[in-house]
Order: sequence, then C-alpha cells, then structure tokens
Amino acid sequence: MNTEKISYKKPLLETPFHERTFEHCFANDWYRWAGYKVAKEYSSTELEYTSMRNTAGVIDITPMHKYEIKGKDAKSFINKLITKDITKIQSNQVAYGIWCNEDGMVIDDGTIFCLNENHYRIFCAERNLNWFCDTATGFNVTIEDISQSIAALAFQGPLSCKILNLLKVENIENLKPFHFNDFNLEKHNVTISRTGFSGDLGYEIWCDPSQAIDVWDSLFKFNRDYKVLAAGMNALEMVRIEAGFIQPNVDFMSAEQALRPNRMRNPYELGLGWLVNLEKEYFTGKQALIRHKENGPEKKLVGLDVEGDKPAVGSVLYDNIKKNQAKEIGIVTAAMWSPVLKSNIAIGFVNKEHYNLGSNVYAEIYHPEELDYRKIWAECKVVKKQFFNNPRKNAIPALT
Amino acid sequence: MKKFDVIIIGGGHNGLVASSYLAKKGKKVLVIEKNEHVGGLAEYANSLNCISPIIKKELNINIHNIEDTNYIISLEDNQNHTILENKKDKLSFIKTNADQSDQKTFLSIINNYKLFSKTLGSFMYQKPPRVKSGKRSDLFQLISMGWNIRKLGKKNMRELLRVIGLNIADDLEDNLNNDNLKSLLSHESVLGSNLGPRSPGSILTLLYKQAINDNIFNLKNIEVTNYINQLEDYCKKNTVEIIKSSEVKKIVTKDNSVTGIQLNNDEIIESKYVMSNADPKTTYLNLLGAEILDTDFIRRIKNFRNKGNVAKLELVLENEINIKNIDKKMYGKFIYAPSIKYIEHAFNANKYNQYSKNPCLEFYVNANTLSANIYYVPYLVNASHQENEVIERCVGILRKFIPDMKIKKQELITPNQMEEKYNIAGGHWHHGDLEIDQLFMMRPFYGSSQYSTPVNGLYLCSAGTHPGGGLTGINGINAAKKLIEDTK
Repeated sequence: MNTEKISYKKPLLETPFHERTFEHCFANDWYRWAGYKVAKEYSSTELEYTSMRNTAGVIDITPMHKYEIKGKDAKSFINKLITKDITKIQSNQVAYGIWCNEDGMVIDDGTIFCLNENHYRIFCAERNLNWFCDTATGFNVTIEDISQSIAALAFQGPLSCKILNLLKVENIENLKPFHFNDFNLEKHNVTISRTGFSGDLGYEIWCDPSQAIDVWDSLFKFNRDYKVLAAGMNALEMVRIEAGFIQPNVDFMSAEQALRPNRMRNPYELGLGWLVNLEKEYFTGKQALIRHKENGPEKKLVGLDVEGDKPAVGSVLYDNIKKNQAKEIGIVTAAMWSPVLKSNIAIGFVNKEHYNLGSNVYAEIYHPEELDYRKIWAECKVVKKQFFNNPRKNAIPALT
Repeated sequence: MKKFDVIIIGGGHNGLVASSYLAKKGKKVLVIEKNEHVGGLAEYANSLNCISPIIKKELNINIHNIEDTNYIISLEDNQNHTILENKKDKLSFIKTNADQSDQKTFLSIINNYKLFSKTLGSFMYQKPPRVKSGKRSDLFQLISMGWNIRKLGKKNMRELLRVIGLNIADDLEDNLNNDNLKSLLSHESVLGSNLGPRSPGSILTLLYKQAINDNIFNLKNIEVTNYINQLEDYCKKNTVEIIKSSEVKKIVTKDNSVTGIQLNNDEIIESKYVMSNADPKTTYLNLLGAEILDTDFIRRIKNFRNKGNVAKLELVLENEINIKNIDKKMYGKFIYAPSIKYIEHAFNANKYNQYSKNPCLEFYVNANTLSANIYYVPYLVNASHQENEVIERCVGILRKFIPDMKIKKQELITPNQMEEKYNIAGGHWHHGDLEIDQLFMMRPFYGSSQYSTPVNGLYLCSAGTHPGGGLTGINGINAAKKLIEDTK
C-alpha cells in the first residue's frame, strides 16, 4: 500500500500553487481550508495588507468550492436555489447571491458565473453539493463538483489592472465589474473576472491547474517597480472587514451547519435584504422570507465605528455603561484597527432598538497588555458596513 | 365546463370515504380514478376488520362479519402445528407443543399488548396535533395523549415506555421458550413493514397495527367488493362525480395555491381544492412537482421510507386443498415462519435488496384457491423480479404441507407491480413504514402532517397520512373534516 496516500501521513492537500506559496511562506504558517493548506501569513500580515491596498496582492483561493451546473433547466434551477432573480444575468456576467433554507435562513453566499443560459458555475466558501443536488430534484440539470479542476488566484489592489495591462492582457481595463471573459495571459488562455473580496479594484483569475505556476509567476514579473506580494488569509480577513463583506461561520452560522436554531440568520438580519426578490414565482424559503420581511429583523449585522484604537475583537455590546443598568444588546463578530482608514472598525449584531444608522452603543473591550487584560468601555456608532468603498472599484475603464 | 369544489385524485378506499364526507357537507366533488374500477388497493386485502365503526354508522354501510370463530395455524416443518382459536376476541390454544407456563405467558403478553395498543388506539380517530402550532386545541390534544399514557398506572406506563422502542425478539425471548409462539407474534409485527424481529421499534409496529385492527391477528373476513360498491353507491347518491380510466398528470398551481388539475389528455379541470389519495411521494414528486417545493421539504419526501416488501401469490389448484395434519373445519389463517431466526434471516436478504431464499408466508385457503402474502420480496429499483423463482420457493414450502399440489393457475404480484397498478411509489401496503418517526403528527413527515401540505388548497387523504393503511377509512374522514374546517 502506498503510505503517501494515508491521510495522516499527508493530512492536507496542496494547491497547484503550492510550489510557489511554499517558497514565499517564510512564516510556514498554514490555514486549513476545505482540506487544502493555504498560507495564513507569508511574512508579515500588515505588509501583505498594505500591498493589497497600495499595489496589488495575490491570494491563492483554489480551495474555494466550485460547482458546475449544466442542462436545459440550469437557469430555472439557479432561480429556485437563490433568492435573487437570475434571469436578469446575461452570459459573461457574474451574480452575487445567497441561498436560504425553508425557514428563510441563510445557508451560504457565492458568486454565480453565467457561461450561457444552460451553463452556470457557482463558487462558494462552504460545501453545498448535497444541498444543490436535493434542490435539483425535478430539474433537468447535472451538478458537478469541479473544485479540483480549476486553480484560482485573487489579484486585488489598485495596480492590479495596470499589471495585467503590462502583461498584455488585451482590453482588461474595459472589463466591467461583475463580468468575466477569457483572456490571454502570456502564453495561457485563462478566465478573468472582475470580482473580489477586497472592496477595491481587483480580479480573480481562473485557470487549469497545469497553468498555475506560470500564471503565478507572471503576476510577479514587474516586481522591481510594483512590489506585488503574496497575501495570506490574515491579510484577506483585514481587507474583507474593511470592505464590509460577511463570511459564513464567522459572522453568521450557515443554516446547514448551525445546531441551535436561534443561531441561524435570515437575509434581512444580515443586511442582505436587497438580494431577496419576493416577486419571483418560487424559490426555497420564499414563504418564510415573506414573513421575515413583514416582521422586520430582530437584530441586524451592522458596521461599528469604535472609539479609541483598541480592536473590539469578540466584544459584547451594551446600551449604556451605567453600573448594573447596562443591557446586553449585541455582539461583535469581526473587528480590527484599519490602517488605511485610520479608524477602529468592527462588524457586529445589534438588536432592534439600536440598529439604525447613527445609534450609539458601547463595546466592552478586553485589551491584552503584557499578560494582563485592560477592560475598556468604548462608545461605538452604528454605521454602514462598507467602511472602505473606493470609487475605482467600479470605474470603467479601470485604473491603469 | 362544470365547476367542482373539490377534486379527489384516486378513487381508492380513502378517496371514496373522503368524497362521501365532503359530499355529505354539500361540497361538489369529482373523483378521478386511473383504473377501470374504484377501490384501489382494497381489492388486495383478503382479511381486514379495521373499518372504522364511525363509517359504518355515518355512511349506512351494511356489512356483516362472516364468522365469529377463527383459527390461526402456525405451521411447523415437523407437522406439529400450533393452532389457536379466536372466539369473540378471546384467544385460546387448540393444539400446541408449548408447555403450560409458556401458553399462559403467551396469552398474558398478548393481553399486555392489547392494553398498550388500546392507549395508542385512543389517538387513532383524531387528527394528530401539530407541535408548536401555538393553537390551544393542539396543546390539549398533546396533553390528553400524555394523560392517556399516564392513566395506565405507574407499572404499566413504565412497561409501555420500556417496550415502545424495543425490538420484539428481545421481549419475546425474555419471556417465552417455545420457538413457534415467539415467531407467531414476530410474524404479526414485521409483516408489511421494513423490519425484522430484531429491528428496534418492531413492538411499536405491532401495537400500532393492533390498534388499527382492534385485534392482534387480522381475522374477520369482510366482503371487500361489497363494501367498496356500497361506498361508491353512497357517493353517487350524493352527486359525487366519478371519472374512471382517467389519469391525473399534474396538479396545477399558481402562487403556492392550487388552481386545478391537468389530466393525461391535457384537459384542465379547475378547482380551488384538490385532495390527493395518491401516496405522499407520488403526490409531491410526480403530481405536484418538486420544482415548487422547498429543498428541506424535498429531502423529507425523499427520506420517507416507502419500500414495500410483501408479494402476493394467488394459486388455483386442480383439486381441493388438503393441509396435512389439520382438521378442515379449523382452516383459517396459516402462517409459516418457524422461528425468529428464520424470519431474521429472511430479512437479511431484504436489507441488500434481494429476496430471501427461505421466505415467510401467510396464507388463506378457500376450496381450491390459495392466496398468500410472501415476505420479504423487496421493491426493486432498476431491476426486475425473477417471478418464477419466487413462486418456486413458495411452492416448495407449501408442498411440505400440501403434498398433492397440482397448480392450474398462478399469479404473483410483486411490490413493483403493485406500484405500477395502483400508482403507489414503492408498492407499500401502508404507503410508508409504520415506525416511530413516521407516525402520528410525524406522518408522513414534518411539514405535511394534519392532512395539509405546504401548498394552499392541496390535501392528502391516503394511507400515507395518519393513521396509516389497513382499510380504516379514518384518513379519509379526517382529511375531509380538515378541508371543511379550513374552508369555513
């Protein structure tokens, strides 16, 4: 028996970029993602973050789950799956969507690539094959997990378009946000979409695993002038908080995985009500979502502008700070000091009385200071989740 | 075009009962039956005595019980058969090789089970409560269910709660020595369900069947055709329209509400209410279409266990049937299931979708005809039964007791054929297993109990609903009542 195949001898899979990510990863600090290992930090999280906000950063997102939907009912299947109306999406367009269970609770979110009306691809963070297959009952579609056959890189940052331009990727500056197309990147034909998780100008590059190393290398080709860095998961977490993107099982529990029913969240609670189209004839969770909309959310995921400079990681939120009178009204799910905004930001759930923009709440921060915790009461203002929203994200032609 | 208040899909027994009750309340009802005659699976029954007395009374059904005294014969390879007499619901031994104490224990076990099933039986006629509905009536019903169990007294309540999840083999082996007696009760518990004597919950299945049948052994013969004809007449008298030899293709809906049905010839008949007497899987997946159902709900439909495993064998012999070693006047229900081990081995094959080399049998004889229920002959997916082999195996067993058998005509109905003939997905007698997670308010499954469905205006009345199959007619009454209650 081949001992290399025994799982404990080789516990995590390596992505097609591993040869390069391994070279870059001085910290040798790996993150476990869907059975793969990806770098948590290459050398310094702050540097990697800075590259994404000032030049461009490269993130290995191969472990993302990828599903291929083919067949004559592909469009109606997607329309049943997601809460949004997919019929408005044309070929070569990307839709961001969420799917809910029968109680109208969010299972996961993902990007849906429309190759043509009989052929879609869904990219998402959690495993969903089972859910998709059960949803497909009665539809003439085939659903295939193609996670292993596509290698993917996120190339995010203000100079990303410029570098692709220097690499002679034709007409890339005119690719609209949430669109994709096939391009020649040096000697390979790859799919590039103008999507990403950073809230800034950025692209995602999808290629065959055999082309992976070449694609990676080309992105670093102009590094003498532009200093593109490989960015790890920690840096990605920073940019996504600034951009106000939410992550299943971090900001909310996926309804397929939550054990406690009261931990599940509906789209209105997550601030994703704009993704729900109740005019659509049918989709899973419609009846429940009609009720949720009527009742309005009990709590809501909002952005918080936190006083001071100590990140409110895992803080409990209160309505006031008077002793014995403070009432718990929420919790912080993600928080950081934002270097680019020079402010202390957080994302968290706040209850009905306090989730309107401009409300004031108080975070109880336990700040570690040399083996001791300092308790800080910080006033927070409820703001929009998108802290960082640079107009160049959507500019056409893109910044070159 | 004519307008109807309610369209009933399927003129099976429950469909007819439901339409009678709806018509009684002044609804204009249309029944659509696929076959040339109504009654559905009822014609398949050869000895059922569970028709609800309410139906007999309220619909003026006039049927007489054929005999008061019945016999149950458990056949043994060594011809040392056990014969039980059932006289006016009192059971006694005529002949047995079991010793005195075993006989006594056997009867006391049956009495115990009778007591428990009576408790369960008190829930039979009601529509099961909906959990967490917030309605006071549902809450009261739950409390009364609990109270009924508590009323048994401390000792009996504990015993009921002990055995309710138990397998029947364990309970019998604890108390009895005689293999024949043990297998006799095991047979009653597993027949028609996807369980072996050692499967957890097989006692509950027995108690439940007993609660439906009002007797641990199905005995009294009724004239099924006569009964169905009377029901049909009642319907016709009350202006129920029955269309035969016509199949429903689709239930038409709009915005989560029923608008009518589409027949196989594409004709559309409009109605705001449709009641389906087809089994839940067929109703949801074929007639309604999974496209308009929530994914979680589809999962529950798919997980509904509805694999039938009883085949029916009809034999016509050239001469009158003589069974070795048994007095002719004691002919009744014959059971061939020699031991718990034998049944369990037969069940083993069923787990792997194969039919057992040594099947168990239950049969009745009438002059030169013999009709037998054979298990386990599982419902096969993407495969067909080797019918001759199944028949050969059975005849092999029957020859042990009827040596001079000359077969004139033989017919086998497998679960697959039953599925096709009566449109029952899985070919299951009860449309779905009678197990703890598929009973009461969980029948057929969460989200579809109380005869209603997630689609407005669509109701279920088949054996797939509470209280299951067995020609009780309660499903039909309850479903009709529910619909009337909702239309008020």
